[in-house]
Amino acid sequence: MWGFIKKDFAMIKSNWLIVLILFILYAYLGLTDKMEISFILPFMSVVLMLSTFNYDEFNKWDAYAATLPNGRKNGVRAKYVATFLIVFLISLFTIAMALIIAYTKSTTIDYVNIFGLIGATFISTILVQSLMYPIIYMFGITKARIAIFVIVFVIAIAGGMLLKLIDFSHFTKVTAFLSHYALIIFPLIVLLLLYGSYKISLKIATKKNF
Amino acid sequence: MKNILEVKNLNKKYADFTLKNVSFTLPTGMIMGFIGENGAGKTTTIKAILNIITDYTGEINIMGLNNKTNDQKIKENIGVVLDDMFFPEVLKAQDINQIMKSIYTSWDEELFQNYLKQFNLPLKKAIKTFSKGMRKKLEIATALAHHPQLLILDEPTSGLDPVARAEVIEIFQNFIQNEKCSILLSSHQTTDLEHIADYITFINKGQIILSATCDEILNHYAIVRCTAAEFKKIKPEDYLKYRQEKYNYELLITNKKSFKQKYTTEVIDKITLDDLMVLMIKGVK
Repeated sequence: MWGFIKKDFAMIKSNWLIVLILFILYAYLGLTDKMEISFILPFMSVVLMLSTFNYDEFNKWDAYAATLPNGRKNGVRAKYVATFLIVFLISLFTIAMALIIAYTKSTTIDYVNIFGLIGATFISTILVQSLMYPIIYMFGITKARIAIFVIVFVIAIAGGMLLKLIDFSHFTKVTAFLSHYALIIFPLIVLLLLYGSYKISLKIATKKNF
Repeated sequence: MKNILEVKNLNKKYADFTLKNVSFTLPTGMIMGFIGENGAGKTTTIKAILNIITDYTGEINIMGLNNKTNDQKIKENIGVVLDDMFFPEVLKAQDINQIMKSIYTSWDEELFQNYLKQFNLPLKKAIKTFSKGMRKKLEIATALAHHPQLLILDEPTSGLDPVARAEVIEIFQNFIQNEKCSILLSSHQTTDLEHIADYITFINKGQIILSATCDEILNHYAIVRCTAAEFKKIKPEDYLKYRQEKYNYELLITNKKSFKQKYTTEVIDKITLDDLMVLMIKGVK
């Protein structure tokens, strides 16, 4: 599996200049209060990982990967591990940036707020990618873009409608419970989703004809 | 192990193409040339052998092991070059080395570097700057650098100039010096196959129409060129296919010796694999 992870990181590294410019741009926007710094995380990790799928598809890597020892399984596993590592690394970067911003502005560092916001973004980023990957394995990255757009659109509409229709004042006990155990419940849900997503992707990839 | 590769009754159906009961065996220590026109089923057969396609019927054994149930063990011991380029072009040869080091347990870094030097391939340049021939050479170096027992090569010499082709052919010949090693080689460069192949397997429209030793084909098969009048005198059972040219007839015969004993006047030419392919595909009976 590490060989496949090295490949993904080597492909990302090949675009290091663009990645560096984007990081500097986001850092600048964050420092100057033009943008919430935590938004770097979902955007950058999705862009970086999708670019690896793009390279794979464009160069017909997946067919070759199927000829390598345990190639199909390791290929899928590597994408999930690489995703987790990238999201984690960008989270560290974002935390560092948030601390620098607080320090330069001489404001009191609100650790709970910083970690809470970045933690929430971390979870939602993993969630989005867990939804996307089986679709990419099923349709390929080119066709998956449309499918992902439709799915995200449907989820957004459904979520928006639910928020409008449901009166959360009836569920005060539930929301209190969730907010109390959020640090345990949400990471657990995300890990389960990630695992479920990996299993589905693996099933698709092992049966796929190239 | 008598046969390193056994393909038995391989069937695969597409909307516009069918692979029908493809069967052949590659004895250990031999090179098999796999020939046929474009779209005949060579790549599909190779993809099935390598499990790149999975929904086929039939049985494929590599090194005595079923290819579906022993995937990892088999793939540790085979080297592959596919028809299409497959390395992400933003990578460098040094990246390929790092990647493969973690994929193959028997990856030989020194051997890989030696091949790169031999092929004049730069370590630190992105693959996208390589010519088609250079990319093929990198793929061949990668296929060889983990000491595989079986090489499965789909058009490995396409895009190579004659000098590079000769270089690669020599490498294949050296590879086969180890009697445990074998090569299945699909190629349109039939002159190369005449030099190195021990066996020829010919596929046409998804079916194997000939699988024999190269010597048997080149020594026993032949082309008879004759006039229309001479052609009328030849019995149909004495030739396999014929082709009407502008001024003469070309006949594919399978037993040069017995034909010579029966008919004395016709011109009998030595056959090449190109001639064989053309007459088998375009010829009639």
